[in-house]
Formats: sequence, C-alpha cells, structure tokens
Amino acid sequence: MNTPLKRSDEPVWWALFSAGGVCFAVVIPGLILSLAILYPLGLIDAGMLSYQRVHQLMFGNLWGLGGIAIAGAAICLPLFHAAHRIHHGLHDLKLAHSMVPKIVCYGLAAVFSLLALYWVAISLF
Amino acid sequence: MSYKPELSRNWWLKHHYYSRYMLREATVLPLLFFCGCLLGALFSLTQGEACWQQWLMFMRHPLVVALNLLALIASLYHAKTFFELFPRVMPIRIAGKTLPASLMIAAQWAGTVFTALLLLVIIGGMI
Amino acid sequence: MPARLLDVSVQRYRPELHSEPYVISYQVPYDDSTSVLDALNYIKEQLDGSLSYRWSCRMAICGSCGVMINGIPKLGCKTFLRDYPKGLLIEPLAHFAIEKDLIVDMSVFLQHLNAVKPYLIAGKDTPGDKPMKQTPAQMVKYQQFAGCINCGLCYSACPQFGLNPEFLGPAALTLAQRYNMDSRDAGTAQRMPQLNRPEGVWGCTFVGFCSTVCPKGVDPAAAVNQGKVASATDFVISMFRP
Repeated sequence: MNTPLKRSDEPVWWALFSAGGVCFAVVIPGLILSLAILYPLGLIDAGMLSYQRVHQLMFGNLWGLGGIAIAGAAICLPLFHAAHRIHHGLHDLKLAHSMVPKIVCYGLAAVFSLLALYWVAISLF
Repeated sequence: MSYKPELSRNWWLKHHYYSRYMLREATVLPLLFFCGCLLGALFSLTQGEACWQQWLMFMRHPLVVALNLLALIASLYHAKTFFELFPRVMPIRIAGKTLPASLMIAAQWAGTVFTALLLLVIIGGMI
Repeated sequence: MPARLLDVSVQRYRPELHSEPYVISYQVPYDDSTSVLDALNYIKEQLDGSLSYRWSCRMAICGSCGVMINGIPKLGCKTFLRDYPKGLLIEPLAHFAIEKDLIVDMSVFLQHLNAVKPYLIAGKDTPGDKPMKQTPAQMVKYQQFAGCINCGLCYSACPQFGLNPEFLGPAALTLAQRYNMDSRDAGTAQRMPQLNRPEGVWGCTFVGFCSTVCPKGVDPAAAVNQGKVASATDFVISMFRP
C-alpha cells in the first residue's frame, strides 16, 4: 500500500504572503512617502500630524476603521509577507534545516501583529 | 562512479538573474524597519501627546529618513516584480481572450498611485 | 580564406581515470552557422574521440543536447559560436550527477515526471470508443504548457531543485498543470496529492529563471504558480470535507 503523501501547510503562509505582498506594493509606498519622507522634509505641515488630529483620524472616525486598516494593511499582513520571504531566504542560504526558523519567523510576525491590534484596541476603548 | 557537485551557499552571486531574485527577497528587510516605525506610532498613540511628539522627532532623524527612503525604493522594486508576476500566476480570461499582461500591470500601478494620492489627501491635506 | 578559430573549453569527467572533473580547451574552426553541438562533433571527430555527450536531432526537438554554456543551461544545437566571440565553457547540466563528461544522470528528473502522471487519465464520462473532442478555446488553456520537450534545462536553472533534489521541479509540475487544465482529462484528483506536498508546487519560490532558459517558451514558472493557486484551493476544499 502507498503511504498517504504529506500535505504542505504552505497554502496558509502563501495566502498571507500574497495578501501582504499586495499591501507592500499598493499601500506601503504612499504611506512611506507621506509619513517618512514628505513630513520630515517639511512638505507636510506639522499641524496635520498633531496628536489630536492623528488620534481622531485613526480611532475617532468611522468606528476606528482607519486604525484597524493601518494595523492590518501596513503592519500585520506586511509582517507575514516579510516572515515568509525571510523563512524561504534562510533556506536559500542553506541556513534553515529544521522547523525552528519557520516557527521563529511566523511566530514573531504573529506576536507583533497581535501587539499592533492590541494597541489599536486600547486606543479605541 | 557519478560525480555530484554540491550547490554552494553563494549560488545567488553567480548569475545576475539570481542576484536580482535575492534583491527582490531582500526588499522585506527595509520594509521591516518601516513596519517597526508604524508599530512605534501605534504604541506612542496609546501613551499620549508627549510620546507622540517623541515619535515625530524620531521620524525626522536623518538616519531614519534615509532608511525609510531605502524602504520606499524597496517597496517600488517589490511592486514592479509583484505586478509583473501577477498576470502570469492569475491570467484573466474575458470572452475567450486573455487580458494583456501590460494592461494588468498598468492597472496595478494605477492602484498604487491612487492609494498614494488618497493617503496624501487624508494625512497631509494635500492636493 | 582560413577558418576563424574559437577557444572552446569543455569540462571533462572520466571516472575511470580521474576522481574529479577538469577542463580541457580546444581550438574549433567556426563560421556563422556553427552550433555548439557542431563544435562538440568536431572535437569528437577531429581532436579527441574520448569526449562523451548526448545528442540526436540537431533541431531543438529531441531535447537531449542540453549543457551549461558559460554557466547558463542551453541546448547545444540551438546555441551558436558566433554569439561567444571571447570563447565559451561547456559543462554538463547543473544540479544533476555527472556520469561521464557532458552526460548527466537524468533519472531523478524522470522519476519526478512519472510521479505527476503526465498523460490523459480517463474518467467515468470518457467515451471509450469515440474520439474525444476539444474546442479551440479549451485547447488554448493548456497549449503553451504542452510545448515541453523534457530537455531538463529548467532543472539546471532552478536553485530550489539544486538545493533539494526531492523538489518535483519545473517541468514535472508544468506537465501536471498542463494535464489538469485539459478538458479531456479526469486525473486531477490523482495528481493533486503530489502537487500539495512540500516538495510539490510549494517547493517553488518563483525565481523564474526556468522560464528564461526554456528553449520552447513554455513558461514553467507561470504553470507552477498557477499550480499553487490550484493547490491552495484544494487545501480550502479539503477543510470542508469530512
């Protein structure tokens, strides 16, 4: 009798990787441009990034959808995207021969994703 | 006796095609830095105004700006490779004809530009 | 007019004489129509009869003369000396065990091909006695992936196969996808367990070099990654099955 072939759990990580890849390509460039380039260069008025305005934008309007969207599309999914590439990159560099790097990569992505969602939650309530 | 050469650890340096692949994979490293910045933003928002001001100061540090500029370039390089792969992984057929890859790539870039403009309007009140 | 001479280096391996491969350089006369396979034939006939290599059709259809040329997998018959004015180095296909000179052991590749059942499998709706018809629209879905000549160049281009020979690899996964997309085939359920393995479609990281080197324009990287979509779908469906 043939022994049943092992099914890979990769579809789960690949789906998260793909979703994160879309966010990395579509959302991240504009976010870096505005927050990390134009604002430091003084091309976005500092008043636009006051604590009150940002807090209101993220958690005050639309039941906090802004904050949830930023956490999901710019932190959680990109983190899983990065974890996937680093996990496979370690294999490419012949550095990963066990389950440990996989658990560390996706584990860290999960921990920091939960942290981001926790900070959004306590800002909301 | 057959002879089996072992693939060396630096195989990706031996051909520019492989080096570009590794560069694509490495775009996630500056991405992680920017994600770290955003995590810092969320944390400082929970801590109040003084902490938020410190985060804004951190974002203005020249070294941070330089690393984020690298992250921006990385995100655009990732976008280029990602958008070009998409029509090959998920070809879209309408009425028996495959949508041209160039059209799908252009539509994805339009998505990136639109999102950037939207974010500039919301965050910066620009345009 | 004296013929132009080109420096053609060939990696040799004669297990009965040497424990490791070594390189010998030959001077080969050439013109604009001299292929790398012509050069090998010249070396064997005029310079060194001990050289061993595989070849047959001379017209990029049998797929047997694949070699590394300056580090890139290519068909000897489809590559021309005129494109290498500084000379060239011919080595056996990478990632395979070398048997002798330019001859590699392709049995791993053949096992992987065999594993995905690359042929039409009949189902309960298959007419046994009548011809199986297919519309042009049904054929165009898999046609590009059907051009494979089993030359193995894509395996030499694939670092994932080089890192892990258990990985089914570009050609086998492409053929699996080719038959899964064929309207006359009923074998998808038999092939999916192979594709779903960690060494199936999930061994691929879309390096994409396989598609660059393919001499028939098959685009195996696209086929393998369409296979990922199919395998992920199969994964979700399996969760709802008892």
